[in-house]
This record gives sequence, structure tokens and C-alpha cells, in this order.
Amino acid sequence: MSLRKAAVAGVAGALAWDAILRTAIALGVPTFDIVRALGTLAFPHGPTLAWWAAGTAAHALVGVCWAVFYAYFFWARLDLRPPLQGLVFSALPAVLALLVMSPQFRLMHLSTDSVRLTWDLMLPPLSPAEIGGLVLGHAIFGLVVGAIYTRPVGSRADRPPIRAFCTRSGTTGGKRRPPDGAFIFATGIECSYPTIDGGTWRRDEMEATGHYQRWQGDFELAREIGATHLRFGPPLHLLLRGPRVYDWQLIDEVMAELEAHGPEPIIDLCHFGVPTWLGDFQNPEIADALGEYAGAFAQRYRWVRFYTPVNEMYVCARMSALDGTWNEQRRDEGAFVAAVFNLASASVKMTDAILEARPDAIFVNSESSEFYQACCPDPAIEGRARFENERRFLPLDLIYGHEVSEEMAQYLRDHGFEDRYRQFLARDVPQRSVLGVDYYEWNERLVDPAGRSLALGELFGWYVIASHYWQRYRRPMMHTETNRVDASDAQRWLWRQWHNVQLLRNSGVPLVGFTWYSLTDQVDWARGLSRAIGNVDPVGLFDLNRDARAVGLSYKHLIDMHRDQPEYRLCPALAGLLR
Amino acid sequence: MAGFLSAHGYDPGPTQRPLLAGALTGLIASVPAIALLWAFNSLQVEARILDLSVAETLAVGWPIMAVAGALYSRLFGRAANDRSGGWLSGMAFGFILWAGGAVLVLPAASGGMALAGPAALGVFLSLVLWGAALGILLPIVHRPLKLSIESESRHARSGPLAGLRKSAASARNS
Repeated sequence: MSLRKAAVAGVAGALAWDAILRTAIALGVPTFDIVRALGTLAFPHGPTLAWWAAGTAAHALVGVCWAVFYAYFFWARLDLRPPLQGLVFSALPAVLALLVMSPQFRLMHLSTDSVRLTWDLMLPPLSPAEIGGLVLGHAIFGLVVGAIYTRPVGSRADRPPIRAFCTRSGTTGGKRRPPDGAFIFATGIECSYPTIDGGTWRRDEMEATGHYQRWQGDFELAREIGATHLRFGPPLHLLLRGPRVYDWQLIDEVMAELEAHGPEPIIDLCHFGVPTWLGDFQNPEIADALGEYAGAFAQRYRWVRFYTPVNEMYVCARMSALDGTWNEQRRDEGAFVAAVFNLASASVKMTDAILEARPDAIFVNSESSEFYQACCPDPAIEGRARFENERRFLPLDLIYGHEVSEEMAQYLRDHGFEDRYRQFLARDVPQRSVLGVDYYEWNERLVDPAGRSLALGELFGWYVIASHYWQRYRRPMMHTETNRVDASDAQRWLWRQWHNVQLLRNSGVPLVGFTWYSLTDQVDWARGLSRAIGNVDPVGLFDLNRDARAVGLSYKHLIDMHRDQPEYRLCPALAGLLR
Repeated sequence: MAGFLSAHGYDPGPTQRPLLAGALTGLIASVPAIALLWAFNSLQVEARILDLSVAETLAVGWPIMAVAGALYSRLFGRAANDRSGGWLSGMAFGFILWAGGAVLVLPAASGGMALAGPAALGVFLSLVLWGAALGILLPIVHRPLKLSIESESRHARSGPLAGLRKSAASARNS
């Protein structure tokens, strides 16, 4: 919710109402003069200017209250254009004005201090002109508020960046670090920053969730629940100001806090967006620019050991170039392949640049786990599911130099990317790479008779889907994201995911960590940040007031229960990577 | 409204103590509201039409505001702890108390008498002020009253059986 925008809308709505009201009164139209009714409460016998000024100020204040109420509770609840949403909303204050406020105004204007109530006093008759004036005034107010109060979260992409992280205040407790090589119990700060609306509007989840103001307390909460690691993505769009121009001061204090007190960060360098000057993921120059950025980052913060160069490349390419939701907002296969290759190139160059500064860096390549199930024995549907089950691997195949299937190779040839694919195959993949597999309730999909993919819920579960990825890449793994939009089911989901992790680990897969993502609730996450609505999705360990959710307590319970067990106190797979 | 509140959660968080915090805050928020009632002569008029002394009116009214505060805190759950928007929720609640309570209950309790003039204005302003103060102060009053994450996380309801109970309930329902 944007309090400032709501306040502006409320004042503007009240002033617009008053301007039209004054015009009507000047033209001799009889109507209900709300400004006079309010102003004469303060100055019953005062000069016109006095009651008008007092009445206008009081009316504007009431307008602000109603606009904030609209912003909190009503905005975007109806699928109407914003001014019409405001118009519908205005019925509520109009009814209250007619039934409660107007009779009470009359009582307040009496010269006595008490009266015996009669029906005439409780519901005094209003003339049609008075009723019309009140209804029309509220309608004008609603239209103006609705027209002004739009896109309450995010900011214009071409605006100079805001000052993001606030200054550190107070002191933090001592350093709390698990022994090196212990199993990773992680959470994360949601940090997506894609653009929407044709690249004109920037979504910034750290801003929307209040992390820029409360970062120090957020880190403390992560420590309090016992998280050993924190997936944390410094805002690339604010830090990378131009070619080789970096605003490190923005995060120096934040990084110093993490270095001194933990949790140990897994630095997420590119999370669904690029700075405005770089355009979008169709731009092949992002690979060099991000490679230089990653190298400079690793040089400045040499103590950082864990990196996610590019988060969820498949999701990023799909949402940007195939589903038309973010950044370039394309909907074609060629654009998707270009985005995948640009993202993979960026990931490789970032990895190489980080290794120059920190040869022992560990790369957690987080990717969304996906699975497509054909609905029926139709060759076309089964073929579609088979193709999607190959395509889900494409970005990881590139960065891990894994051969694609013949069908996927033909797909790459069709879009002119075979040569670049061959270059990836020749790559020497760093040994310290962890395959991060994210899992949500919609990651398993059913391909329906029309070829659409519909979320299936948890059909086979993380154990089965993650096993597909293990069989393909044979790299140390980590469960790097999960949560549940239905907060009442979040505890069950957490323990279920954990049992999946245990099962995979016990089956011999080198699994180094688990993550509940994210620390706090997120904003518009369930709708994929596709519209700037400002709806809170209760997926966090803590809500946006930073009050613990039940799943937050459960995660602490889980960590406390396991962290000192010998097999978690020393995780051989992670210890091997750290050597 | 439902969407917003459901996102925050109707149910208070597991570490919150909404009734105690709401009752305490309801009492504290009454202090500026009483000052305003006094300034508008509303308290004296209320006492007169209820046939009570001012002290008796306060003695009756203060516990009612504590109950109202507890009710607000329980009803608004997590939203009542929103530091940026609590004032609005509180004002809305104060307005509802005025519209439903002061406007209707007072005449019912006094044989049909109602406040008028500045005294009526004072009641309205005092309840809106009470609500705003309640909304602003509740997160602050609540903070030291909350249960600790450390102790609550140890409880069995946070453990592996939390999922089992939910699964069993789902199975029964299906």
C-alpha cells in the first residue's frame, strides 16, 4: 500500500468534489454543502473564509482517511478499470453520509447539549437536491481516488534509483556461525526486480516487503530461527548504474553486517531483471556486463563464498520471452531461446569472473524443478509433455555442458543456436557447483487436450522430480526454495518437503541444504509479479509486521531438532566442496 | 477488506497475545479520548443523561473501552499489529463504535436522550481519536507482551506432527 499516493488521491478527490460543489452553488443549484456543514462545526458564526478553510481542511482529511481505507481494503478487489473501482467504492461513504453522518451533523449543529430523539431527528428528511449532491459528490471523489490510486507498488523504471537501504542503527549481537561444513538450513530475502508494462514499471520486492527499511531486523530474525545461510540478492538494478559503474556504498553496510554477524549469505547476483540501461534478456551484451559486475562484486566482498550467478534461468526466460509477463514481454520461441542463451552466457561469465577473485567460491545454481504430465494417450499431447520435460533442462544443460536430446538439438537448430550450444558443451564446469532445485505446488503440470499446461499440485513430489535432475547432472544438490501460499497448510508443507529431503539424502544423493523461501511474506508473488497490485501473499516465516507465522516456529523447531545431529553437524558433501 | 485481512491472516500470530494487548491498549487510548470528551463537555452531558456522576460514568466506560480494545485486537488479528496502517484500522473501529454504540446505545440506555451540539461532536471526535490511538499504540504495547519464538517453537504443535494433524483433517474432510 502506498500511503503517500493514497493521501494525494484523498486530497485530490475532496478538492475535486468541492470545486464542482462550489460551481453548482454559484450557479444556484441547491445541494448539500458538506464543506459548510463541516466548517460551521468549528466556526458556527464565523466569517465565510474561516468556515470554508476549516471545512475544506476537514473534508480533505476525511478524504485521506477514506482513500487510505480504499487503498488497504478495496483497491484491485474488482476487475474494473481503476476509476470505476473508485466509483463503486464511493457507494460506501455515500450510504454512511446519508444514513449516519448527515443526521449527526444536524444534531451537532443544534444549540442545546442534549435532545430527546425522534424519528425526524434520527432520520431527517433530505431533499432530492441534497441527496443528489451527496451522491454526486461521493461519485466524483471515488472517480478521482480511483484514477489516481493505481500501481501502489514499484516505481517507474526510468526514474533515478531511490536511496534503497536505510542506514544501520544500533548494534547487533555477537557472531553466530555454525561449524564449517554443517548442513545448510537457509531462508532468503525475496529480491525479484523484473520490469512489467512494456519495461516502464519496475517491481522491486525488497522495497515492497519493507526490507530496505528493516534489513537489520530481518537478518536478526533469520539468526533467531537458526538459519545458517541466507539467500540474499543485492539489487542489481540499483547497483549497476552503467557500464562498469557500481554503487557499492548502497550495500557496504549491509554486507558488513552479514560478514560480521551472519547468516552466511548465498549471494544472488541476477534475479529476474537487469538495469534499465541494459534493456532486457534479448540483449546479448548482458553477459559481458554481468560478468564484469560479478567480478567487481567478488573483488570488493572477497569474504563471500557462496554465489547464485543467475537465479532460475528457465523461469526467467519463460516469463520474459514465452509467457509475455516480464522484461521484454515476448511470446515467441525464438525470443525464449535467445533469452536462455543470454542468461546462460551471463551465468558462465559471472562464474568465471568470480573464480578469478575467489577460486574457492561455491556456486549454487538454483533452478525451478518442473515436470509435465500428459493428460491422455494422444501422441500430440504426449509429444508436448516430452518436449517440455526436455526444455526444462535447457539452461542447466548449457551451464553444465550437458548434451541435449535430439529433439531439443533440432529445436536449437531451428532457431539458429546450434553453434553457440556447441560452445557450451566444450565448457570446463567448476567442480564446486551445487544444483539448487526449487519446488512449489505448481511445478508439476498437466498438459491438457488443448496443449495447455495446468498446475497439478503435488503429484510425485520433490523427491521424484529432484531425482530427475540428479540422474541428469550428478552434482551435489540443495533444496533452494519452497513455500506455501495457503498459510494454514504451510507447516504440513514444510515437514513434507523436509521428509523429501531426508529421503533423497538417505538414498545417497549428496544433498547440502534446505531452504524455506522466504523470510517474510511477499507482495504479488502468487500472481507472478505480473501486475502492480500490492497484495500480500502469506508465504513467509514471518508476516510483513515481522510477527512469526506458525511455519516460522516449525522451521526453528526443525532446525533445532536436526542441526546438532552428527549427520547434519558435518555434511560430508558440503565439507567436500569447502575443502 | 477480506483479501487484505486474509493475507495478514485473521488469526493472530502464534506468538501474539491479542486480548491482553488489546485490553491494555484500549485503556491507554482512553486517556486522550477522555481529555477530548472533557474539553467538549461531552462527559458531563453523558453523565447527566445517564443519571450518573462523572466518576461513575468513567468507571463504567473505562472497562468497556478495555473490552472494545481486546475485541479490536482479536478481530483484526495480524492487521492490528501493522505499524504503518494500524491507525486506520483503529479509526475505522472507533467510527463503528461511535455509529453503533454512541449513536444507538446511549439513547437506548438513557430513555431516548442523545447528545447534541458540541457535546455530540466531542463524542464523535473522541471515539475516532481513541481508535487512532488504539491502532497506533497496539503494536507498541503488544511488542513486550509477545511470547518468545524460542519457547513457542519448542512446542509439539510446531513439530513434525503439525503436518500430520493437517493431513488427517484433510483426509477426514474428503
